Amino acid sequence: MPGNLVNFIQVLRSHDVRVSPAETLDAMNVATTLGYGDRDRLRDGLGMALAKTPAEETVFNQCFDSYFTRGLADFSLEQDESDTEENPPATAEAPDDSELQPSASDAAALEAAAENNPELAAVMDSELMRALLANDRNALTIAMTQAGEGSGLQQIQMFTQKGQFTRKMLDAMGEQQLRGAIIELERAGDPALANLQRFRDLLREQVRDFVDREYLLHAEGRNQQFMEDVLSKTRLSNIEHSYLHRVHELIRKMARKLAARHARRRRQYRRGHLDMPRTMRRGVANDGLMFNTYWRQVKREKPQLLAICDVSGSVAAYAKFLLLFLYSLQDVLPKVRSFAFSSHLGEVSDLFAEHPVEKAIEMVNWKYGGATDYGSSLQDFADLALDDITSNTTVIILGDARNNNGDPRMDIMRAIYQRSRQVIWLNPESRRAWQTGDSEMFRYLSACHFSAECNNLKQLERVVDQLLKSTR
Amino acid sequence: MHTQDFPQLSSVETIQEGFESFGYICSDKIATAVFLAFQLRKPILVEGPPGVGKTELAKTTSQLLDTPLIRLQCYEGLDEAKALYEWKYGKQLLYTQVLKEKLGDLLQGAQGLAESVERLHQFGDIFYSEEFLEPRPLLKAMQQERGAILLIDEVDKSDYEFESLLLEILSDYQISIPEIGTVKARTSPMVFLTSNNTRDISDALKRRCLHLYIPFPSIELEERIVRSRVPDVEEHLRHQLVEFVHSLRQLDLKKSPAISETIDWARSLLLLHADQLEEEVVRSTLNVLLKFEDDIEAADGELNKLVRDAREG
Repeated sequence: MPGNLVNFIQVLRSHDVRVSPAETLDAMNVATTLGYGDRDRLRDGLGMALAKTPAEETVFNQCFDSYFTRGLADFSLEQDESDTEENPPATAEAPDDSELQPSASDAAALEAAAENNPELAAVMDSELMRALLANDRNALTIAMTQAGEGSGLQQIQMFTQKGQFTRKMLDAMGEQQLRGAIIELERAGDPALANLQRFRDLLREQVRDFVDREYLLHAEGRNQQFMEDVLSKTRLSNIEHSYLHRVHELIRKMARKLAARHARRRRQYRRGHLDMPRTMRRGVANDGLMFNTYWRQVKREKPQLLAICDVSGSVAAYAKFLLLFLYSLQDVLPKVRSFAFSSHLGEVSDLFAEHPVEKAIEMVNWKYGGATDYGSSLQDFADLALDDITSNTTVIILGDARNNNGDPRMDIMRAIYQRSRQVIWLNPESRRAWQTGDSEMFRYLSACHFSAECNNLKQLERVVDQLLKSTR
Repeated sequence: MHTQDFPQLSSVETIQEGFESFGYICSDKIATAVFLAFQLRKPILVEGPPGVGKTELAKTTSQLLDTPLIRLQCYEGLDEAKALYEWKYGKQLLYTQVLKEKLGDLLQGAQGLAESVERLHQFGDIFYSEEFLEPRPLLKAMQQERGAILLIDEVDKSDYEFESLLLEILSDYQISIPEIGTVKARTSPMVFLTSNNTRDISDALKRRCLHLYIPFPSIELEERIVRSRVPDVEEHLRHQLVEFVHSLRQLDLKKSPAISETIDWARSLLLLHADQLEEEVVRSTLNVLLKFEDDIEAADGELNKLVRDAREG
């Protein structure tokens, strides 16, 4: 069982439930303490040690059920026992697909046919067929599990591999002989053919089910991770519309991760350490008696973040994600103000506060989209917020700096640069393109503390991580 | 804490029975959690909506074991001085003053400054000894001879720094006091942490705990709870009122009624001599269940249907 438990934990991990080695040990202890007798209790207990959020608990329960139920009940020839338990008796007794179910008479017919057919007789004598005929579920389950392990089923990656694995397992279990016999019977026109076919179909069906379950258990979680990995490295503008919702989910996840990593350092104790010099100084008045203690307090100004997003056609796809990201980050940095511009600039913080994020982004695009004019937008920004920029403010700008050959208004950029703590410019274009055409990026660079190419989620995450480190 | 000292905790069933004798009706899962926490010496992190009996669980366990319950209520800004220990500065300073006079005796015969300092050093540490230590809940729980139930309530309200402070206590049941060294628990306490999920608890803390999520109880369980708390309520009224509360929880409310509110409501209905749910009675007592005006209004509109369903259900 311990080996089994370790395997099960592997499965949990592949489903995005993080389990540390220490928790594995805990789970072992839980299992030893509770024993394996009462399954529900074992499930509760293991769940407490392994699942740490209600969401993880749901995943855990699903995995537990599908992992530990693949016992004997999964494979049977007659009416499935677990079925009879779960279904109300009425349906179990109903004369359902008895056509498909091989029964004792099938076996008898086959026995009879085998007497004058050596090929069939050999098959009937094989281990697999004997087990099938005797409905020896134990042996069959073992054979199936062994075949699964032998063919490396646990390494299954994609659903396209299912057929291949099914075949491998059937071969390992000796289905080939069965097939041979069927062809033989077909040629001879033996009436027992249908009976044998029924056995074969059932076997195939069971193996297919087995592969399906293993796929769900081992590959699905991994595929999701793979998908996320790919998405986070794809250029945001290239992500297909149908994957957008997954990207949203991914962005939220990243924001949560960053929030967790950084939020813990934001707050400081209200009361710090004993301020010895001050305590002694005040004690002088009492003839050196230090009756009043003084405490060093840590004061911290909250950082302020101003985000300016170019939402003009060329950058809109990226701006959307940055806005979404900033919106999700409000947990960490409560003072986030967002501005959007193309030809004119306006504050959009309220839109984000009042509407759900998807709708807000849509409204921003609708209100401020159009042709880009960095000059007048910077002027608008200066009118709106320049006075609010202090040495605690971080200004983050997302844009391609393509100004249609207009006035870049470096003076305003410089003013922002001088007043703020830092100016970060994220450019979705690759660095090589920064000097080409109407791009003013190289001029703006002189008024930025930090600039980065940013067109996929990985880069965005790295930049924001950097940002949070410096605004703490 | 050893099993032989506490036969009440020897199996999941005995725990359930024991809890029941103190009026705490719990599911199999909760009892399993307590059993495991005791056997494996692990803290339990109890989560769930407000009013499902998270704090009550710790209290009942302390009643069951007849050990002191030491409670630490968490809030933003809680620091080690309030949670762990503090030096009795006043006492330390007072003693310094008193000892000032003794200083002459102490230094008598000392040649030069170096020797005086040397002598003072020999007494230097007494001010930072346990004599001058003011234990706060966490340290107090460690000092209990027979063990204790340590309830760290609403840990999600505290700061992240405080969580890291808990890590040492929760894994080894010991506390490092820089001036003294490590204080180990005489008997490791049973620890309950509760959280309403106002923020995420750090992974490090979660890893050290068993994780117990208590949802709102099922109808059967809640009926049993009401029966044990308010035994005078007639059976069919009890069924109706629990049914009603359950359908209230399905509504989109700011705050769903908790078990404690179900019990309060059952008591109110008893006082009003109601023998079954009537729309009028329900309307006039709705404020026992719902604590927001918006919620009451929302429920008021559906009242007719809800009462009818509850009476039929």
